[in-house]
Amino acid sequence: MKRRDFFRLGAAAAVTATLDFDQLQAALTSNKMVVEAIPDMVAVMGGEPAVMLDEALKTLGGISKFVKKGQTVVIKPNIGWDKKPDFAANTNPELVGALVKQCLAAGAKKVTIFDHTCDNWQKCYASSGIEKIAKESGASIVPANDEVYYKSVSLPQGVKLKSAKIHQALLEADVWFNVPVLKNHGGAKMSIAMKNYMGIVWDRGFFHDNDLQQCIADICTWNKKPALNIVDAYRCMRKHGPQGRSISDTSLLKSLIVSPDIVASDVASIKLFNQVEKMDVGEVGCVAHGERLKLGTQDIDKLSIKRIKI
Amino acid sequence: MKPILLKFCRICIALCFFIPFVLFFCDFAGILPKKIQLLMSVQLTPAILSGSLVTIALLLILTLLFGRIYCAVLCPLGVLQDIIARIRTIGNRKQVKKRRYRYSRPQNVLRYLLLGLCIVLLLFGILVPVLMLDPYSNFGRITTNLFRPVVIFGNNLLNELATKAGNYSFYHVTIYTVTAVSFLSALFVFLVVAIMALFRGRLFCNTICPAGSLLGLVSRYSLFRITVDHDRCNNCHLCERVCKSQCIDSKSGAVDGSRCVTCFNCLSRCSHRAIDYRFTPRLKPQPAPPSGTQNLSSDKAQSLQQGRRTFLLTGATIAMAIPAIPTTALTKSTIDDSKLKPITPPGSKSLLRFKEKCTGCHLCVTHCPQQILKPADFAFGFDYFLKPHLVYDHAYCNYECTVCSEVCPNGAIVPFTESDTKQTTQVGVAKFTAERCVVPNRSTDCGACSEHCPTQAVHMIPYRDGLRIPQVTPELCIGCGGCEYICPVRPLKAINVVANEVHQAAHLPTEEETEQPTEIEDFGF
Repeated sequence: MKRRDFFRLGAAAAVTATLDFDQLQAALTSNKMVVEAIPDMVAVMGGEPAVMLDEALKTLGGISKFVKKGQTVVIKPNIGWDKKPDFAANTNPELVGALVKQCLAAGAKKVTIFDHTCDNWQKCYASSGIEKIAKESGASIVPANDEVYYKSVSLPQGVKLKSAKIHQALLEADVWFNVPVLKNHGGAKMSIAMKNYMGIVWDRGFFHDNDLQQCIADICTWNKKPALNIVDAYRCMRKHGPQGRSISDTSLLKSLIVSPDIVASDVASIKLFNQVEKMDVGEVGCVAHGERLKLGTQDIDKLSIKRIKI
Repeated sequence: MKPILLKFCRICIALCFFIPFVLFFCDFAGILPKKIQLLMSVQLTPAILSGSLVTIALLLILTLLFGRIYCAVLCPLGVLQDIIARIRTIGNRKQVKKRRYRYSRPQNVLRYLLLGLCIVLLLFGILVPVLMLDPYSNFGRITTNLFRPVVIFGNNLLNELATKAGNYSFYHVTIYTVTAVSFLSALFVFLVVAIMALFRGRLFCNTICPAGSLLGLVSRYSLFRITVDHDRCNNCHLCERVCKSQCIDSKSGAVDGSRCVTCFNCLSRCSHRAIDYRFTPRLKPQPAPPSGTQNLSSDKAQSLQQGRRTFLLTGATIAMAIPAIPTTALTKSTIDDSKLKPITPPGSKSLLRFKEKCTGCHLCVTHCPQQILKPADFAFGFDYFLKPHLVYDHAYCNYECTVCSEVCPNGAIVPFTESDTKQTTQVGVAKFTAERCVVPNRSTDCGACSEHCPTQAVHMIPYRDGLRIPQVTPELCIGCGGCEYICPVRPLKAINVVANEVHQAAHLPTEEETEQPTEIEDFGF
């Protein structure tokens, strides 16, 4: 190699190194035309969970927009209670199963499901029907019942909660989906997308002891955000949440709300919920705290929302 | 039957009981069928405490016919002693030929004194000595507190390796049920039994064990027994050397039937078939080999030795009955000190009944999926020592779960029926202390207690500034401890379950008729 060529090559390499393709990609995705094509939120009503999920993902540009070939995916449903699916205490298993299949179809290397349950974890996994559907659809459902599975992460933006121990499967994942069920909640007023984060941490006692609503918002500031918040409102728990006492505590809403904006997801879900049981958004403190921490917007009227009725 | 076959059968049957027994106690994942529990229900002490007359009669008839088969194959602690004693001969064949066991006189005073004491106290409703000496429950405690943790440790190692490789087939188990007191007392008993077994074979069974002494009284008269044929015997003493009960006096050819545990080791050793197991009905026990007590005065040196031996054994026994282990609290108590009564498992009916039935074998402790059944220390008195009680510090009693009642071998915890369900059994009542609660003290939302309440006995009512505070409806509370477990307040929790000495019936939560629309037409936004 001639000396001149060497210098040229070196200069070219230096220029290439300074190019930031991330920004280029960001510029492309934030392109106005793309924004117009893809809404901030999709709300679907009137179908079975899998059908509604298909519609929502299609509207948002397809699953391959979120899951790339060879990636590891975590799906975090709510599996907190030893209850059958009809009690709406846990996320609908069919929705979870459909999402697993979508991810695998998009080429995901591995799909993992877990929740730090309240009742005995094995019973929750079994009764919720999620263990069965996970196995059928090719995901692995992993234990989250012991502190050994959790690693500490810092939350620099947290107001009360400055660090938390998060499940290692989620720490290792390339992409994750937050898949809560829409529920009334005795302590937190509502349990939707933000509250669902409590199932990724070990020490929940700290939350209850140090301003629950603020801690819920704080844990949502963790820098690995879910690709989408997929709120299962197929059957919601209207009262006596989070466990419910009977099926009469639930309402069949046959709805699904999907958005990358966690605050907007919760606000929209509460508005949907208000049609069957009164709940003031202001009472669900974590939503306002979340907006203050720039996690999203409460003003969902300003968002582009695609409403689909099947 | 060939003598060697008898021994072979004995070992096979013993292992058929022993292996499932150990596995069932170590089964932390609940894999094995609960029916294995039936093996435990043929144990003598549980049968006596549960009043299973059929089982007791069968065991006594078995002993009267064939000798102490029970001690040879059914008793897990007996088999454990055999295994320990066997360890000494492994890899050292010459050792067997050397003089291993020697005939020794029966410790009749000690053994029948202990048996008598146990029976008398049992009649007065005092179970402590029986339970501290009972082979079955001691074996249970040894397995639960010593062997099971080793199995779980192995599982956790495997889990760690598998998890690193991205495999989640195993899961980590943290042990909450082994307390310092239960571990040390199990270790103490194990060491005593192991040392006795190593040096003196079945000495424990023939001096300390009340079940052994009771069966020994019967086996004196058993129809089938080991006898020595003096015509064939060439006085090689081999039978005496392999007798782990140390009950064959090969010089006089006498076999002490009360101590023989029908292990058939002597039979397989004798090359002349001078010693045999045959039908030898006898109304009177064989002229007793010179008993230690009768000959005491004749030989001063021997009497000294005997005295020392008795003293040592008595000492060991007393030490075993009341393990002098300090009850140091390792974790900070989160419950009110005024709560002095133990919460007994659902299905145990009442504290008094449970005290009289439970042998403290820890089978329920090992099978509780929530690990909330913990062996008690001396906090609830000597008569509750090592019996399980519900502790809600890291988990609570599952609403639907009835595992403890399904595995209890002697009905100390009674299985539920359709009319008498777990969901309506109130083992205690939640007591809310508002002065300690997060809501008034910090003016923030909490409601963790209500959240975990399966019956909504603990529910949230309006307080101030949009906040809501817990309230308890005692009739709905079953004392599962969901509220106590999750309450974040420290050092003392704001909600605690106070035990019912006699379990009460709780109301089932009523289902309200709904007025709200349960289906909708629009999104609402």
